[in-house]
Amino acid sequence: MGDSLTECMEIFSQDGVQLKTAQASFVNYLNLVGTLYITEYANSNCRRCLEWKPNDVTVDSDVQDQEWAVVNTVQKRSRTYSESLPPDSTIKPKLLKVNFVDIKSFKTSNKNRQLTLFDGKSEIMCCFMFQHGNCDYLITVLRGMLKTIPAKRDKHLFIVIHDESLEAAQLDKSFAELNIFQDPPPTLWKLVKSFHDRPYETTLETFAKVTDYVYRSPEQRDIDDDQRELLHRSLTEYASSHSQGDYEVIAKVPELPERKDYPRGRPLSAEQWKNLQNHEGKIEDVEQIKLMIFRGGVAPNLRYEVWKYLLDYFPWNSTQAERQKLLCEKNDEYYNMKLQWKRMTKVQEDNFSDYRERKNLIEKDVNRTDRTMDFYAGDNNPNLQLLYDILMTYIMYNFDLGYVQGMSDLLSPILHLLKNEVDAFWCFVGFMNKISSNFDIDQAGMKEQLQNLHTLLGFIEPQLVNYLDKHDSGNMFFCFRWLLVWFKRELSYDDVMRLWEVLWTGLPCENFHLLVCVAILETEKQALMENNYGFTEILKHINDLCGKLDVAAVLVKAEGIFHQIKEAEHLTDNIRMILGLPLVGVQQCPEEILSTSPDSPDEDLYERVYDSMQHVMT
Amino acid sequence: MASRKKVLLKVIILGDSSVGKTSLMNQYVNRKFSNQYKATIGADFLTKEVTVDDRSVTMQIWDTAGQERFQSLGVAFYRGADCCVLVFDVTAPNTFKSLDSWRDEFLIQASPREPENFPFVLLGNKVDLEPRAISSKRAQQWCQMKNNIPYFETSAKEGLNVEQAFLAIAKNALAQQNSTVDLYNEFPDQIKLTNTNKPNSNGDSCAC
Repeated sequence: MGDSLTECMEIFSQDGVQLKTAQASFVNYLNLVGTLYITEYANSNCRRCLEWKPNDVTVDSDVQDQEWAVVNTVQKRSRTYSESLPPDSTIKPKLLKVNFVDIKSFKTSNKNRQLTLFDGKSEIMCCFMFQHGNCDYLITVLRGMLKTIPAKRDKHLFIVIHDESLEAAQLDKSFAELNIFQDPPPTLWKLVKSFHDRPYETTLETFAKVTDYVYRSPEQRDIDDDQRELLHRSLTEYASSHSQGDYEVIAKVPELPERKDYPRGRPLSAEQWKNLQNHEGKIEDVEQIKLMIFRGGVAPNLRYEVWKYLLDYFPWNSTQAERQKLLCEKNDEYYNMKLQWKRMTKVQEDNFSDYRERKNLIEKDVNRTDRTMDFYAGDNNPNLQLLYDILMTYIMYNFDLGYVQGMSDLLSPILHLLKNEVDAFWCFVGFMNKISSNFDIDQAGMKEQLQNLHTLLGFIEPQLVNYLDKHDSGNMFFCFRWLLVWFKRELSYDDVMRLWEVLWTGLPCENFHLLVCVAILETEKQALMENNYGFTEILKHINDLCGKLDVAAVLVKAEGIFHQIKEAEHLTDNIRMILGLPLVGVQQCPEEILSTSPDSPDEDLYERVYDSMQHVMT
Repeated sequence: MASRKKVLLKVIILGDSSVGKTSLMNQYVNRKFSNQYKATIGADFLTKEVTVDDRSVTMQIWDTAGQERFQSLGVAFYRGADCCVLVFDVTAPNTFKSLDSWRDEFLIQASPREPENFPFVLLGNKVDLEPRAISSKRAQQWCQMKNNIPYFETSAKEGLNVEQAFLAIAKNALAQQNSTVDLYNEFPDQIKLTNTNKPNSNGDSCAC
């Protein structure tokens, strides 16, 4: 972008502005505080821009090499994003820049402490939070520079009018062509009539009615693609700008595709497992086997073997001989680490308060982990010693993490199943590698998951999320226990084993456990809302689900939800990022996403194996 | 003045891991003890109907996780608390040393209207166990330094002193709630510089 070279003038600046939402490439900048500028470029076709710069540029701050990331709505950029640009890509923008010409509407919320810009295609371009005071002055400046009209139904929403003649002509044309419909309803005639007189006001007033018309009578919609696209865009813009922030949803929100049932399969059997290994004992089609486990879990008598793969102890492509060798190495490695703490002298321990604290905590937790299970019951049970030894050795393996409450819950079923100290340790390591962020000192991982759960639930059940927000429960803390130990406290031992092995496959998407939460919450929606539960009752109700959940039913539902999300037209990059789906770039409009983004190979395989399994099962 | 309708008292139990928070709550509410309680994850609460000073009240007793790193989530649970119960294990000196930080952290996160007058109650639990590491005297000294916090020595296992301790907790919580109600009733019209109308406050509770 050559803009940085042209002369620019700063017209306005305001500091203490936090970036809340932006396109995917700014993921590292979210929640950073910075300064917002309005700049004017003397010699450029996009003259005025809104720019945001974080206060502390800690990433790649090569001052000489200014990289400007322009947030625009030009669709050519989206090609690069469909290649699934990783969030921590090497291109680190230092400055978020929005051309004035790309701002189609903006709104304030949260007592004018928040400003959201929309690109007019159902997507938020970016959203800023004003930490010191509000954005009143900025709005005044913006309205002085852009031609805007406040939306009739929402005085906080401003529609930007860019090129009156062009846009009016476009709309005029499309609505004029609507006249050719057979027997259009009177509202539409009236709309078209008054549209000529007062184009913008009429548009806003009647969009809702048009929504109904367009959505309700598809058989009458014999209009060409251009018109449909134009209408759809305007409608989605209207809907999305009204579904953000603290406001009631008054426009029709985009509908999710129909929920389909994905019945559970049978557990992976010993015979199937054997057939999928070659003569050397190598698993040939790893993805297929994972998928079978995802669909049906593992037969209990086979878990002993398969869990070692699922928990990355054994590489999937290893041969029998390689695994034998690995076992020896891992055995030595384990006992080396175990000796490190076993040999610690009293003086060393006295001088190492962190270690003492962890040891103390493990001692206490081991004595209260699943003691009602036969395997851990009774005084002086040797299995408690194993539990203790493994957790102590884990401290030596991962000093940074150490021991955090909840870990003994995660180890308990693994040890119970494997009944071998070394194997259980390495499988536990594998499990911890998958969910260690649950145990962050600052709880960042848990907070992020709770936030992501809120986002996903909002996509599936906006009404429920709205309810939770209004009842002090938008922080989703009532799901904390579910997430921290992956439902260990809510389910029976057998069920938790089934759920875990399904989740360990990493299918059908990242963070599928959050969709499991969404599925349960959706089931409980009625109970929560009809009883008008508040913060405490919601927490109690959720805690009391302990022992009442049906894992198979929950998984069926969660999988259905996954497909609904994946196929939703209004799917956003934010949701894609949570679920690890390929990003397509926020600028792209929904129609394009559907027609141009190719299915990833995984998804292809998913469909293929799913179909073949359906045949096997029936 | 405070109405005569049924009141809800929110009580938060805090203290290091494994000092007996869950056990104390269950002993008080269900009169049961088990050494198989699992470490608390997240938070949970139990309620109990009691009569305090001829008034029928519902105590909502909140049990939280004891490991320090989970405290950042506390703020959601501390909100609206009427009394905070600090618990330590009389056989574990470290759990006594942590009391200051538990108290401070609670005051920061719950940010009650008048931190210096917010009711705390201290429980030294596990008195049935030997050897004793923290003497009654030492615990009482700490309580004196903190604006005379009431102190009870309990055994959740044997049910020793648990009823008495929670009665004191309820009384303190009720007094706190009444003084808060008084504040609400008085402030809108005028700010009184004297505290003669505040029967339940121990000291000067005016924030001015």
